[in-house]
Amino acid sequence: MSKSITRREFLVAGAAVGTVALLPARALAQEKQLVAATFPGTWNEAHREILAPAFRKRAKATVTQSIILAHDQVSRLTAAKGSRAPFDVAIFDSPQVLDAVKEGLIVEYPAAKSPHFKELLPQYRDKWGPVISMQVIGIGYNPKRIKTPPKSWDELFDPKYKGRVGLTALNSQLGIAFLAELNRINGGSETDFEPAFKALKKLLPNVGAIGANLGAYATLWQQEQIDIAPYNFNFVATLSGKGVPVALSIPTTGAVGWHTSLHVVANAAEPDLAVQYIDTHLDPVVQAEMMKAPFNVIPTNAKVKLEGAITQSIGKTHAELARIRGFDWSKLNPQRGALIDRFNREIRL
Amino acid sequence: MHSRHADWEALSLRWVFGALAAVAIVFLVAPSLIVILTSFTSSYSLKFPPEGLSLRWYAALADAHQMQRAAWNSLLVAFWTTLISVVLGTGGAIAIARSRAVWARACDLLFMSPLLLPALAFGFAALVYIHLLGFQPSIPFLVLGHVIVCAPFVLRTSIAALSQLDPALLDASYSLGANWWTTFRRITLPLIGRGVGAGAFLAFMASFDNVPVSLFLADARTEVLPIHLWQQIETNLDVRTAAVSGLIVIATLVLMVVAEKFAGLTRQMR
Amino acid sequence: MKFRESQLALPLAALFVAFFVAPLAVLIGLSLSGEPELEALSLQQYVKFFTDRFNYSILWSTILLGVKATLVCLAFGYPIAWICARSSPRWQSVIVFLVILPILTSVVVRTFSWIVILGRHGVLNKTVLWLGLADEPLDLLFTEFGVVMVLAQVQLPLMVLPILTVLSRTDPNLADASKALGAGEWRTLWRITVPLSLPGVIAGCILTYAACVTAFVTQTLIGGARLIYMPLHIYQQAVGANNWPFAATISVIFMVAVLLVVWVLNRLARVSRGFTHA
Repeated sequence: MSKSITRREFLVAGAAVGTVALLPARALAQEKQLVAATFPGTWNEAHREILAPAFRKRAKATVTQSIILAHDQVSRLTAAKGSRAPFDVAIFDSPQVLDAVKEGLIVEYPAAKSPHFKELLPQYRDKWGPVISMQVIGIGYNPKRIKTPPKSWDELFDPKYKGRVGLTALNSQLGIAFLAELNRINGGSETDFEPAFKALKKLLPNVGAIGANLGAYATLWQQEQIDIAPYNFNFVATLSGKGVPVALSIPTTGAVGWHTSLHVVANAAEPDLAVQYIDTHLDPVVQAEMMKAPFNVIPTNAKVKLEGAITQSIGKTHAELARIRGFDWSKLNPQRGALIDRFNREIRL
Repeated sequence: MHSRHADWEALSLRWVFGALAAVAIVFLVAPSLIVILTSFTSSYSLKFPPEGLSLRWYAALADAHQMQRAAWNSLLVAFWTTLISVVLGTGGAIAIARSRAVWARACDLLFMSPLLLPALAFGFAALVYIHLLGFQPSIPFLVLGHVIVCAPFVLRTSIAALSQLDPALLDASYSLGANWWTTFRRITLPLIGRGVGAGAFLAFMASFDNVPVSLFLADARTEVLPIHLWQQIETNLDVRTAAVSGLIVIATLVLMVVAEKFAGLTRQMR
Repeated sequence: MKFRESQLALPLAALFVAFFVAPLAVLIGLSLSGEPELEALSLQQYVKFFTDRFNYSILWSTILLGVKATLVCLAFGYPIAWICARSSPRWQSVIVFLVILPILTSVVVRTFSWIVILGRHGVLNKTVLWLGLADEPLDLLFTEFGVVMVLAQVQLPLMVLPILTVLSRTDPNLADASKALGAGEWRTLWRITVPLSLPGVIAGCILTYAACVTAFVTQTLIGGARLIYMPLHIYQQAVGANNWPFAATISVIFMVAVLLVVWVLNRLARVSRGFTHA
């Protein structure tokens, strides 16, 4: 009998503890929470290590950084249109901004509330949201196994790399940009992707793995399952900083890139915090910190002087960076779904 | 001659099965051990054996605010899920355990079906349902979703415990003048306590670890730990994931030892 | 009092009806909606699923994956249960403890451990190379073999426990009688023990199969993008492509496929129970 009393008391005590334990949760809930989207890989790490603490110090609020690809962010915002948005700050590459504006998913950026906005170079001051960085792609390669940096995308097709070439699925901007560049080199245009797919099919015997996402892609490099593949400048820097054998080479056809920008979402739960968060990202101190290894995020604030790996591989001045080639996303966007579909069907190992 | 042949046969069977079983047990336990050992590495890479030993990644967890928040959400949800599952599940178990009526068998099937149906399909269905009703995913709905997939555990162990309960004891109690509630409180509950406790423990772990339902019913504002970890693994090669994994394994081990002591967990599972 | 007792099931039943049956009904309804107006009932989505080889192959590979993983679980699980049933109570507790430990540890954690093990520089490959079984590290991650192996480990406890339950309850006199009559150990195993344990084996297979086919985390982390199974397909359509009607269709088809296999196995179980009563 005494045993059962003890057990019952235990249960009662447990319930009491639980109720008490919930009280701090209420207190935690009182502290404001911002939910911001971020990209996987380098972005997630840079945002977590540098941006989140800076934001917390400035706004006395916490931020939950959710890893969602730009395309998926647009999907989720569209699904939640009219009701409270699933996150307050969106991070888009150039293509998504057009779609988001058209669908009314983001609001105009209140530049008046953002002190660092005017410090950006003119081409980065977009009324829908400031450009926080540029992303550049090139040929990633394993310097332990490939001694001379590849100078052309054609080298991917070299039979000596049979089974050692990597590709990434088209759900990431890296995949789409590579497809578009391959298309351009082979004579296609933003409306005709036939040359790109022809080239990819020719590449298929060389392809050793197709990464589902950028994380899986990173694993391929770490496990040395691929030797050569299109890759993002930022991600290469982060991986090599962790001791993974990967380096980037810009082909002679030139660097290709796009803008990455932050936006305040329509129907955000915390619009003021959102502006503060974005403004923190524009802060020259924060951008200079992110420019350092291993993140190598290209800054857009004019006050930040370029140095480090960016000057070695991409460009020495802001003016040089401005000349990096992009694409006409307004023509490319409508075909995105069809391109992804076609890629999933035809490019399979 | 005949007996020696039988001895060899017996030995051979024992050896073969013994070897298979040993391999299988290593197969079962090794991964958790390896991840714990890998988490003590001093380098950035997830190599085993680890290059250099250090506690730096465990220290790094102190700064992992988002991960801590996700862990807290998971604990909160698991607590409420377990509470509701135990209260409703015990009641359900008592109602159907000793009944042979058709409705009881039907209820049993209904309550057990979340274990057989793909939880992912249910999670998505719940999301569609919530939107249809005009709501958005939130912690209460997440708890409800978890209760559906976790209550079956409480039911299973409670029903098993109830079936061990000698009805003569209850009859004796009633004949001595006790009403239903008193009998329940002083006879039934103490006797099935261990079974319910084991079920509660299983429900708690199932909720804490749940992915398929949380995938749809938990969004960025109510991030839970398994989803957060899954995202991290998919996108980063972070050794901190190994550190938090190590913590989870050790915590599970400790909780299991506690459950074994208080509720005789292993006996309930046999 | 009996009347009152049965009422105790009402709260749970009400919750299940409101939050389990209703959502599933909504799901089925959604899957029957045609595009673009979600009002009309139509089998359009189902036609879309079955006429596309892509979808069909995903369904088939998922079912096959479940079968393969279940067989591996059986091959390893039966010996554990058999040895455990014959051990002293103290060892039994230890073995059951070791068997339950994995299933209570987070599935994400366990799958993550396997990523560490299966990599080209992982433990498994290091051992294989050291033993000289291969010249080059094996590609285990992102392959079906890898997924089957990890699934088998992750779901093994679900196979062991039901078999153990049945084996523990089997009358040892039957095996003794068989041996007294001159049958060897192996023969006893095949003719007596296995048939008697069949209900447990099938229960284990049902649970393992159901768990393996819906193992989203393991399939995505180990399988990667090349290997798309039904759970990832549902997730991609629901969250990625925002195509809820089609995602609902895939979900319903998936549920039916799993239930079908479970039903078949259940019938087998009913037949096998005849062995114990023969």
